Amino acid sequence: MDSVDYTVEIPVIEGKTTLGEFDELISRPTITNPDRKYYIALSISLSMLGLGVIGLTLTFYYGIGMWGNNIPVAWAFDITNFVFWVGIGHAGTLISAILFLLRQKWRTGISRFAEGMTIFAVMTAGIFPIIHLGRPWLAGYLFPYPNQHALWVNFTSPLVWDVFAVSTYFTVSLIFWYVGLIPDLAVLRERTVNKIKKIIYSIFSLGWRFSNRHWQHYDMVYLILAGFATPLVLSVHTIVSFDFAVSILPGWHSTIFPPYFVAGAVFSGFAIVQNVLILVRKIFNYEHIITLNTLERMNKVILLTGSMVAYSYLMEMFIAWYSGIQPERFVFINRALGPYAIEFWIMVSCNVLFPQLFWFKKIRRSIKMMFAIGIFVNVGMWMERFVIIVTSLSRDFLPSSWHHFTPTWVDFSILIGSFGFFFTWLLLFTKALPVVSIAEVKAVVKGSQPTHGIHS
Amino acid sequence: MSKSIEYVKKELPHEIKTIGYVLLITGFIIVILGYMTDITRSLYNNIIGFTFLVSIGVGSLFFVSLEYIAGAVWSTPFRRIIEFLSSIIVILPLIVLPLLLNVNTIFGWTHPADSLMKAKAPYLNINFFIVRVIVFWLFWVGFYFLIMKNSVKQDRTKDQFLTKANIKLAGIFMPVFAVTISLAAIDWLMSLAPKWFSTIFGVYYFSGTVLAALATGTIFIVLLNERGYLTSGLKRDHYYSLGALLFAFINFWAYIAFSQFLLIWYGNLPEETVWFLARWHGDWKLFSIGLLVIHFVVPYFGLLSQPSKMNPKTLLIMSCWILFAHYIDLYWLVMPNFYKEGIIFGWIELGFPILIAGIIILVFYYRASRTNLVAIGDPKLERGVDFRL
Amino acid sequence: MMSNKTVYSYTGIFETPNQIVEAAERAVKEGFTKYDVNTPYPLHGMDRAMKLPPSKLGYVALIFGLSAALATALVLGWMSAIDYPLVVGGKPLFSFPAYVPVMFEVTVLTASIATVVAMLFFFFKLPNIGHPLHGTEYMKKVSSDKYGISIKVNDPILILPNNLFDESKVVKFLESVGAKDITPVYWDEEEINYQNKILDPKFMAFLVAVAIITCAVTYFSLNVLMNITPFNWMVEQQKLSAQQNSNVFKNNSGMLAPIPGTVDRNSMPYQYTGQPDSAGKILINPIPVSSESLRKGQIKFDIYCSPCHGFYGNGSSRLNGQFPNPPTLHSDKIRNWTDARIFAVITDGQNVMPSYSSQLTVDERWTVINYLRSLQRAFNAKESDVQ
Repeated sequence: MDSVDYTVEIPVIEGKTTLGEFDELISRPTITNPDRKYYIALSISLSMLGLGVIGLTLTFYYGIGMWGNNIPVAWAFDITNFVFWVGIGHAGTLISAILFLLRQKWRTGISRFAEGMTIFAVMTAGIFPIIHLGRPWLAGYLFPYPNQHALWVNFTSPLVWDVFAVSTYFTVSLIFWYVGLIPDLAVLRERTVNKIKKIIYSIFSLGWRFSNRHWQHYDMVYLILAGFATPLVLSVHTIVSFDFAVSILPGWHSTIFPPYFVAGAVFSGFAIVQNVLILVRKIFNYEHIITLNTLERMNKVILLTGSMVAYSYLMEMFIAWYSGIQPERFVFINRALGPYAIEFWIMVSCNVLFPQLFWFKKIRRSIKMMFAIGIFVNVGMWMERFVIIVTSLSRDFLPSSWHHFTPTWVDFSILIGSFGFFFTWLLLFTKALPVVSIAEVKAVVKGSQPTHGIHS
Repeated sequence: MSKSIEYVKKELPHEIKTIGYVLLITGFIIVILGYMTDITRSLYNNIIGFTFLVSIGVGSLFFVSLEYIAGAVWSTPFRRIIEFLSSIIVILPLIVLPLLLNVNTIFGWTHPADSLMKAKAPYLNINFFIVRVIVFWLFWVGFYFLIMKNSVKQDRTKDQFLTKANIKLAGIFMPVFAVTISLAAIDWLMSLAPKWFSTIFGVYYFSGTVLAALATGTIFIVLLNERGYLTSGLKRDHYYSLGALLFAFINFWAYIAFSQFLLIWYGNLPEETVWFLARWHGDWKLFSIGLLVIHFVVPYFGLLSQPSKMNPKTLLIMSCWILFAHYIDLYWLVMPNFYKEGIIFGWIELGFPILIAGIIILVFYYRASRTNLVAIGDPKLERGVDFRL
Repeated sequence: MMSNKTVYSYTGIFETPNQIVEAAERAVKEGFTKYDVNTPYPLHGMDRAMKLPPSKLGYVALIFGLSAALATALVLGWMSAIDYPLVVGGKPLFSFPAYVPVMFEVTVLTASIATVVAMLFFFFKLPNIGHPLHGTEYMKKVSSDKYGISIKVNDPILILPNNLFDESKVVKFLESVGAKDITPVYWDEEEINYQNKILDPKFMAFLVAVAIITCAVTYFSLNVLMNITPFNWMVEQQKLSAQQNSNVFKNNSGMLAPIPGTVDRNSMPYQYTGQPDSAGKILINPIPVSSESLRKGQIKFDIYCSPCHGFYGNGSSRLNGQFPNPPTLHSDKIRNWTDARIFAVITDGQNVMPSYSSQLTVDERWTVINYLRSLQRAFNAKESDVQ
């Protein structure tokens, strides 16, 4: 293909958009009325959500028996979906926080959208621990509030750690997102002529006036939040992995679970973010802000994290053999050849084989190919959680306790509903708030920074 | 924007060579005496020394590859220094030789007693073990030569194609590195307790490797830059990035170490807890707590603030400390298999650290005398020098 | 000069980043202190140009973070090891490794919230919707694609006597650094004395309103909502509770009094009420004397008889002085009573002593009497008993 010149920096924002034009371009979706395509998309996501609501209503009324869960497979679709959605949330924080700490300018076009996806994904994920309780109205018991039961929550339980981790993650992501939104809301405040909108933007922009004395502290706080959000995101999926790894079940009790799960979360999260961004840049004409170079870099991250996941598979299998312990060895034989072999092999091909195609530059830069691979990755990662949870539970130490798991239509309806929930919020977001961070993008456009006086 | 980077090749002072030789010979004598006095103890120290050098050598090669594959520019001005450190790979056979000659003494799995050990025999047997050691070294030294050759050639030809070639090599090296470093850790460190296993062990050794390579590189970079040898001149921004990476990997090491500990503590399975219990017995209890303080608490607060990450003196001190911490980490991994009652420390333990210090200094000196200290032909060099946060 | 409006500051617009950085450096050199630079995004090097001291927000994060970590460890330790200790999974009561995840999360949460709150409300003194710069053309430009500088007219080097300011000096300065559109910005009538205090009465009222609403909602959800099935702990059940209305029996009652003459299960009717002497002659103590019976008798005696009769039956009891003292049980009269005569007294009561038939079963009464006999023997021991 064309040869790259390594002496030249790849521009982050392409084209010759002026700063003022950015304001117009990015705020346009919030001003214009939704068109037919939007309504079609919204009605699809709402119907999916509706299906989920039906499934949930039946679950609340009749109980968990509506699902396929049984003993020993007490966790199935519910926790698979939970881990899946929490994982998707991690891409957003990684893009906002970790890429910020690594000073990767290409994150500016996508960070706002990705953070929004994080928040919606975490909201979706948070539904599952509550609905999978037999008595979900008692979910408040998970918090250590002073009570008359003479009982505190069990702080040694990873399920309690989950409560703290996911709520902290949601809160901090929301704060991080909001802090980033303040300057953009101020831009909208200055531009809007609609009286009601002006009041709303005025309130939520807190009267931000672009003062450099404020920018100085703002930058520091952004750095601190990014510095906190990075270990936070690692800790959240680590704690989710602890749900499994602290047990003694073969296939679950494995010390590599924390980094393995985190890598897998970033992997699936980036795949979905990449897929959604491909749609967004097309629909809103942001191709010069969310450039092909940005997408290519995201694919490199997908390749990296996919390789980490592949490494984890290999290491787990090797050590299971190395341990010499028969139930450990059996877990992996069972996964590959047992009743869930189809799910296992889908997982391996989607997670290990397809992402490795991203070694090839042509595939990294092809929109169609990367979109397809992104979908495969998501399917594969959902399968991975399913395989881990269900195979280890359905066949553990005692063969007389083995039992197969079959999902019911209610299980599927809730899964579909979760996608509907997520996409509905996403669609509403694209019309209510700027999906690209206006201030950050302006700061990295060529010529936007002073050229003198920066010698250290 | 095309200002040429002026690089004036300065000779490193001869005192360095002298210091290097003094350390090398002193260390060597102590090691020989140690072998004559207590073979088993020396062998265990040898393992620590060997894995320490592998960390620095192969870790440095990992860094070089990482820069190529990530397309980073901030590290280009000092990449050559890291390349010199990866030359350590070449002399690894000398350090591993005494170990290969005494495999039976070091490793319990050479005499498999029960069915569990026999089940591991397809992997843990002397022949396959030696084959692995050789093959891994061949991989490492092979990639080292190829990547190094291209990088040095580029000094003369300034051919961008060489960068592209190195990126490809780096891409292939990464999975090779992941597998070989993990298996090396399992072979040399985990199999000392052959009935114990942990899937995260390879990652644990990797986290220490990255730290060791980074710290050693930082020491040389700071010393050379502050004395003007890198005439391209590194700025606070470069130092900050080095400091931030060190800080990040301190946290990563602590995260991996804690994950491993927590899961084994929580599951409470006797076949797994035995390893940690050995490190909580007698003196080892204090040592384990000390490891946490030395390897995490001190460097964490030492590198937390922004100014500290940019300050060359702080970076130098913290890098030396982190190297020391890594040695302590390896000691903690290896020695409890040998001496169960507590910490064993005497003149024998000093042999390998002194020897290693001499090796690193001399390897660096000789490379620096024949090659430029800066990769003057690299197309990214100018962007790297201009790098600002 | 001008109408009732008071000037807040003079503003100037710049086209390029280099210009505004230079302008800021010049402003510092000239000695301006009460000025500000407004840019649509942060410019590199502007902090240095304005010679701003480094932000102290890092310390806020550090202090709150460390305190949160320590507090969480202590609180978790107290909950698990002191307040309601439960051994879970065989782990020690104070299991520090298990607290680390929660400590970490709470630390991050506290430090993040504290830092952002400190920045917005203490450092920026936001929300401030009434700032004079809002709604001006200047603000429109600097929020979009221009860079601006705003010099407050109460800057010390501009102040003239009589509350005036040196307009020409500030305008000349702005022209000299190349600013365009040099315009004054005026205070709004209401804003001129605006002080954004945390203790603002409106804000306090808002907090109080939030507190009241939270209490009301909590009360409603916990005490009203949560008493609706199925949240109400099976409080309402189908079974018939005591005293509950029902149409099982007439008069809407669910209970009936026992039919006259109903006899308790496991009991024999006592026929000698009012005739203690007859009871004393006819009934016989069926409980043989044994160490077991004496032990049981002692327990019951200590519980029921000792308050009035004392632990030794001699009347020196803890109700001395508060209640009429019974005569000692070691008198000849009582020692000469048959067991059954004493039984009659316990069953029916005598004088001030009430009936203990509801506290002691028939057999228990006999064992008490056995014990009493042993006490009596102890109090009147003969030499032969000691051997």
